[in-house]
Amino acid sequence: MNVTAGQELPELVKHPTTRQLVQYAGAQGDFYEIHYDQAYAHSVGLPGVILHGLLKAGFLAQLVTDWLGDQGTLESFEVSYRGIDEPGRPYRCRGRVTRVEGRTADLDVWGEDESGKRTTVGTATVTLAT
Amino acid sequence: MVDDVSATITYVIDRLKSRVGVEGPPVTITVEAGHVRRFVEAIGDPNPRWRKEAPPTFLVALAPPSTHMGDAEEWGKGWLNGGNRFEYFARVMIGDQITSKGHLADVYDKAGSSGDLLFIVFETNYTNQRGELVARLRGTLIRR
Repeated sequence: MNVTAGQELPELVKHPTTRQLVQYAGAQGDFYEIHYDQAYAHSVGLPGVILHGLLKAGFLAQLVTDWLGDQGTLESFEVSYRGIDEPGRPYRCRGRVTRVEGRTADLDVWGEDESGKRTTVGTATVTLAT
Repeated sequence: MVDDVSATITYVIDRLKSRVGVEGPPVTITVEAGHVRRFVEAIGDPNPRWRKEAPPTFLVALAPPSTHMGDAEEWGKGWLNGGNRFEYFARVMIGDQITSKGHLADVYDKAGSSGDLLFIVFETNYTNQRGELVARLRGTLIRR
């Protein structure tokens, strides 16, 4: 695989639903009510139920593993959650190669809401197969 | 007059600080095919690779991220997830027996735009049945 700095990863657009939040809550074992109970979410000042940060991390990890395929190994992956995201709205996962040195490549990854705001930002480091 | 809220956040921080670095009880769980399938279905990741291997964020489904959340809940009204950092040292395959060992790494407070925020940083090390360190997770939870 030819990887160069500045290269963009193929975009991954997710369409999260409330059903998916319940599925994820069960699969991860995170039953915090802000992810499935509208009344509870309102009571803590949220506009409604919101996506799990780690679900968004899962989306961004998929962005990287889809791009990388069997051409390398994920060494590290870091995300910061900067804003909330609600189900029923598209979530665009994007990424860009920032640096390539030998077989190591660093990436920026981020998730954007409908308005283009980066609600999750992160980085990943991969080792490319020879 | 004593400010009740700040008194309580100080109390919670002091109590949590005394536990920084103290390792919680290890939890050993087998990576099950059905669990991984439900996890990737929830993410919507159809990659056939996950029929044999666990995807990068699956480790969080094996053990609760922090055993200290209950203590912090004496203060504030809700949780936010601040961030997660995963480091990978070996692949995690279906059938592996993964032992998670977690500890509180840091506790601090910060003034936010709508009041004080309590930050709890935890770290979890994951080893497999051969005793190999497979991954390390660092997470920041924010109590507001």
